[in-house]
Amino acid sequence: MVHNLIKNQASAREYSLSSAVEGIAPPDDFLGFGLGLRTDHFQDVLSTKPNIDWFEVVSENFMVDGGKPKHYLHAIRELYPMVMHGVSLSIGSTDPLNMQYLRKLKVLVNELQPQWISDHLCWTGVNQTNSHDLLPLPYNEEALNHVCDRVDQVQNFLGRPILLENLSSYITYKESEMSEWDFFNNVARRSGCNILLDINNIYVSARNHEFDPQDYLEGIDKDKVKQFHLAGHTDYGNYVIDTHDHPVADPVWALYKQALQRFGWVSTMIERDDNIPPLAELLAEVETARNIAYDTLGQLERVKQREIVT
Amino acid sequence: MDKLPLASLQQKLINYLVDDDPTATTTIMEQIKDHGSITRDVRLHIYKNAYQVRLKETIENDHEMLGFFLGDDLFDQMVLGYINAYPSDNTSLRYFADKLPLFLANNAPFKDHPIISELAHFERLLMVAFDAADATRFTRDLLANTPPEQWPDLVFRFHPSVQLAHFHYNSVETWQALKQEQSPEPAKEQHSDWLLWRNNDRLTQFRSLPEQEYNLITMILNGASFTALCDFLLEEVSEEQASQVALNYLLRWLDDGILIKQEFIQL
Repeated sequence: MVHNLIKNQASAREYSLSSAVEGIAPPDDFLGFGLGLRTDHFQDVLSTKPNIDWFEVVSENFMVDGGKPKHYLHAIRELYPMVMHGVSLSIGSTDPLNMQYLRKLKVLVNELQPQWISDHLCWTGVNQTNSHDLLPLPYNEEALNHVCDRVDQVQNFLGRPILLENLSSYITYKESEMSEWDFFNNVARRSGCNILLDINNIYVSARNHEFDPQDYLEGIDKDKVKQFHLAGHTDYGNYVIDTHDHPVADPVWALYKQALQRFGWVSTMIERDDNIPPLAELLAEVETARNIAYDTLGQLERVKQREIVT
Repeated sequence: MDKLPLASLQQKLINYLVDDDPTATTTIMEQIKDHGSITRDVRLHIYKNAYQVRLKETIENDHEMLGFFLGDDLFDQMVLGYINAYPSDNTSLRYFADKLPLFLANNAPFKDHPIISELAHFERLLMVAFDAADATRFTRDLLANTPPEQWPDLVFRFHPSVQLAHFHYNSVETWQALKQEQSPEPAKEQHSDWLLWRNNDRLTQFRSLPEQEYNLITMILNGASFTALCDFLLEEVSEEQASQVALNYLLRWLDDGILIKQEFIQL
């Protein structure tokens, strides 16, 4: 009998509350504290094997046939749990779902075996024109029905629930009839998808649309949130742009603490997309997030280390 | 006010992003709520600016040497022209500028200097070599394990990253000079064939092809056997030299990593 040699994929670490602490233990799918993996850091990650719980990768960056980036990606996957984060699903578009994109996504899912797959509650293009931006939907019944139908199709195709993420936005349509958080929460309840809550995006949109970010947090069901994003922005005084090219700002750290108080243990990561600093700088931000979570919810200890079975 | 169907609203916002026509702006503006401390105009412009910057950065990243060759003003003119002519229809920015060589070959002032389109073409071929599919290479060891009686019938296949390119100008030499931060020679007509591929270390590599090697590679692409390659060389070199010349080519291709190991189905 011939055995195929299968490379190991790292599995998630398990965490429990430290014995000295009373509180709520993390859920089974809690991954810990992670980072968005960027090509600039591939070699550093492989050579230094930093003590970090997991990585998120941008799916589209690896929807290529082969070459160096994919080689590094697979090598890093052997060492760390991963989740996949997409930007092109365009779940809210009135174009038909892009099946070619979904097929590529599924191939990558099979390759990487991620803990979960996420994209955004938005649309990116229509009528074959792609803006390569995350564009907001009007928050009304028509859009709600449309998005729920499509989430259902995507989840059926992928055979698993997806996570959707809130975006930063700068405009409000006159057609909107409900708040973003009402809309988002309804999408999650009706379609069965889960929620990736970007704490920075809540802050940015709250500033731009002048709502209380605490209202947003309280409008989202506790059991739906599976992941947090933390990122930086650029503050122009009377408006804020979600640039993802700065360290996490103090008001966003404060909002993160409030989010932890509401949602408890949620897998958290730092997302930097531009102006990429050395790896150590981002790892320090991950540790800041970990410390805030421990201060807020209690100290965790690892039940078991990563196991590499050969 | 009547509810605006979602599809129509989306089309209006996309029109605003891709089209500089002022009516596209007024049309979408009517759908945007006026609230808070910034105007609708500022709000919408954040999206328009992001759209243009993102596409420009994509072309800058993909076509660094072309950028140096053109200089800032012509580069900006090219970017604006291209974005307007070919709005992105792909989910990945990786393919956004695929039609840039075509655009440069057909639009003034760029089309008057064909080397510009050739430079863009060369840079896109490098990208294809960079992320083409992986495949196990044919090596000297595998060749040594091939029984000699099978050699005449061997048919070689190229690694998925391998590409042939023909240039009519000194485009690759110009690209190389720019890469080394030197002033390129003036553009001149100069026909040459090039081989591009991703090597054993996963690095993108290229070299010019002499006519004889170009002919051999073209024959392989058409399915010629090793015997057919040797027969071709017999017309080019003496009978004593032919087999050695053929072997030298083969060893070079193996060392370059351009041939792949083939799986044969044994019946």
